[in-house]
Amino acid sequence: MLSRWCSRPGPWCSRPGQLSRRAVLPFFSLLALAAGLGLAPAGAAAQARFVFANESDYDTVDPHASFDVGRVAVRLNLYDGLMRWQDNPARLEPWIAESHSISSDGKTYTFKMRKGVKFHDGSEVKAADVVYSLERILALGKGAAALFKSMIEPGKAKAIDENTVAFELSKPSAIFLSIVPEIHIVNAALVKKNEVNGDWGAAWLSKNDAGSGAYKLKQFDPAIGFVGERFAAHFKGWGAKYLDEIEFRAVKDTNTRVLGLMKGDFNGIGGYLQTDQLKRIEASGNAKVLDAESMRVMMMQFNTTRAPLNDVDVRRALNYVFDYDGFNKNILGGLVERNPTPLPNTIWGNPKDVTGYSFDLDKAKAELAKAASKIDRPLEIHFLTGFAQSEQAAQLFQNGLQKIGVQSKVIGTPWPTIVERFSKPETTPDISVYWISTYYADPHNWIGEMFHSSGAGTFKNAHHYKNPKVDALLDKAVQTTDQAARAKLYEEATRLVVADAPGLWIYNTKWYGPYSKKLQGIVFCPIGNAQEMRTAYYE
Amino acid sequence: MRILALIGKRLLWFVPTAAGLIAVVFFISRVIPADPAALLAGETASREAIEALRVKLGLDRPLLVQLLDYYRQLLKGDLGTSLFTTRPVAEDLLARLPATIELTLAAMLMAIAVGIPLGVVSATRRNSLLDHGVRIATVAGLAMASFWLALVLQLVFAMDLGWLPLQGRIAGFPPPAVTGFMTLDALIAGRFDRFASAIAHLLLPAMTLAVPALATVVRFTRAGVLDTLEKPFVTYQDAIGIPRALIVWKYVLRNALTSTITQIGLLFGILLAGAVVIETVFQWPGIGTYAFEAILQSDYAAVMGFTVYAGGIFMIANLLVDIAHASIDPRGGHA
Repeated sequence: MLSRWCSRPGPWCSRPGQLSRRAVLPFFSLLALAAGLGLAPAGAAAQARFVFANESDYDTVDPHASFDVGRVAVRLNLYDGLMRWQDNPARLEPWIAESHSISSDGKTYTFKMRKGVKFHDGSEVKAADVVYSLERILALGKGAAALFKSMIEPGKAKAIDENTVAFELSKPSAIFLSIVPEIHIVNAALVKKNEVNGDWGAAWLSKNDAGSGAYKLKQFDPAIGFVGERFAAHFKGWGAKYLDEIEFRAVKDTNTRVLGLMKGDFNGIGGYLQTDQLKRIEASGNAKVLDAESMRVMMMQFNTTRAPLNDVDVRRALNYVFDYDGFNKNILGGLVERNPTPLPNTIWGNPKDVTGYSFDLDKAKAELAKAASKIDRPLEIHFLTGFAQSEQAAQLFQNGLQKIGVQSKVIGTPWPTIVERFSKPETTPDISVYWISTYYADPHNWIGEMFHSSGAGTFKNAHHYKNPKVDALLDKAVQTTDQAARAKLYEEATRLVVADAPGLWIYNTKWYGPYSKKLQGIVFCPIGNAQEMRTAYYE
Repeated sequence: MRILALIGKRLLWFVPTAAGLIAVVFFISRVIPADPAALLAGETASREAIEALRVKLGLDRPLLVQLLDYYRQLLKGDLGTSLFTTRPVAEDLLARLPATIELTLAAMLMAIAVGIPLGVVSATRRNSLLDHGVRIATVAGLAMASFWLALVLQLVFAMDLGWLPLQGRIAGFPPPAVTGFMTLDALIAGRFDRFASAIAHLLLPAMTLAVPALATVVRFTRAGVLDTLEKPFVTYQDAIGIPRALIVWKYVLRNALTSTITQIGLLFGILLAGAVVIETVFQWPGIGTYAFEAILQSDYAAVMGFTVYAGGIFMIANLLVDIAHASIDPRGGHA
């Protein structure tokens, strides 16, 4: 073949049938150079550079446009708030605020701010910036806006003086303080300068930085992620060792994240990984896996508005059908803790005397025999498409139901679709399998939002559960400021809910943090998933 | 002149084709039972807040009104604003489009550069061991799941041998884009280290994407060459003593490529679709992953924007195929 087109000597053929060095060299040189450079890991440029591979996109760096765990690194590293959740179990710490006070009627919250805290452009963080930030959240209606809107109206945040800000709530709310960390303070003057047609600087802030956080934005590409460089003048100061640069990039494929960490391309990766992947990471020698008990409860929510699940005896029977230990210990390899109530084990307000339901098919049959409703149709169990654990739990539950003679269908549904279906009782699936994470470390995040009748149809409340006694307890709890008194109210509400069995509660997630072996100083907090990098450094 | 008439005629057809495509995708994206307002408002939003947001976004209006509004908007060159990135969709897509085109073109070049010669050799040595081998390989190439192939290539070339990078477009965080084509930008900046890095990062995803296309090109070239070799003009050329290689590579190949070129045009669209999987596995920041996310989040403006771009690219690819046909086969009949 070669001899046919290289039939006589020329620039590319040294003699008939043989390619010359000139023909071959450039090709192999290019390959060799390409291969050689390909060996260089992404983060090899500087020693104190950290690269994190995240499972979801950083499509915006606007701190008020998101309230999810996926983009929390933007909010915690580039911005500061008056308060911040720290450590595990999570505790609320004054951050830019020095102190706060609550009026006797529980409606006015006043914060004294630290002086001399600087934004990245060198200007000082003032009370007016806090007011602007809250107004911006309310006006944009994204991220944590829905929570704030239920407590405070526009124009009700006031700068008392340069360093004092007050919030006047529409009604007393004990959870306001818990969500104050979500008021990420933006540099009002800078954002106003970049407003276009009254957009509150939305287009500009989606790719620029107006914060005071420990890192300032150096580069951002919505298709890739962002790079932050250390802000030496950060008000919290720095230890002897720190990371000079942090890079958070989206890497959607789990396998690529795992391989990248093992290869050294990444120094930390996100995502809830499977047991075998964690073992592979630990065995690689390059990486370690940190762990901590988190606050993310896996559950099944029953649609309580439709027969047969409007019958409490049927719901209790279903609670005895799930093989909790089989799932947590065998399928998940003991990586999680059993959590028998809607509240995470680790939070206050969770009654310790409630042990919940166990896997007991005889009890299930006995409950079914008592029930007024008969299960005369296959029950639909919807799991979240793309979440393997949710599917595994649905299938295990289907297996249990079959053992007591109940037919069921397991259906995968993408998140946007299931959110839409929850909005009406008639479209809400019989049973939905998913998790409720920590948006703020207060029992209201779980039992308050999941079981108060006013929240029916939202993502957290697919039960459409209505119990006036529970409503009254939750209303009282949210208006009481004393934590001990609130704890008792939540404990009582939890007992009522568990007895009514509008769902079943499987486990509390254990957080696993796969990182480079040499990385130190990672501090896990359930709000933030250990993505605040201020304290991290290399050995 | 004949080619200009062909281009004019095809361009006229662009308008109804694009309008129809947009209408179809518009209605499909709206009938999916997902609620962008609920997603945007967040998990803690009340039903009232979600309804208010839906009204604000104009999603409560009749679908036909929304579609006509979209056409009006398009005529002004406005693809709308992404619900989730809050940036203009055109800006988002333009930032990502070069990555996808660079990947697709590299895969296409690989498929053509290897596929056509392999198809010719396979045909000229019909039923030889080489021909059987090529046929088995092409069937395997078409049947192989691209995500599996991607994983195998990653494990072998990135993890075990360590020759090529695992993911991304370049080592480290990419420098600000000039053209968006990483290889071209590196050359413009005179940074040959970056150019080599970009090539190294391009090799594995392009190879993965090229395999099914390569198989198609080989099969169609082989069939075309076999068919043409039976033609009387080949017997005549043989008889008058024209060297066999010249007959095959010049006269036979030119006549045999008609169906291959049609396939290459179609393959461009298929490669664009395949890029979604490849981009995800290799973390290649192109429009495929953007579209995938947009669909998951019911970001209508972004989904429609992707449709307009992908449809446009596909129509241009087909136009180029028609022009190529007209150039290769002067007998006409394609216009």
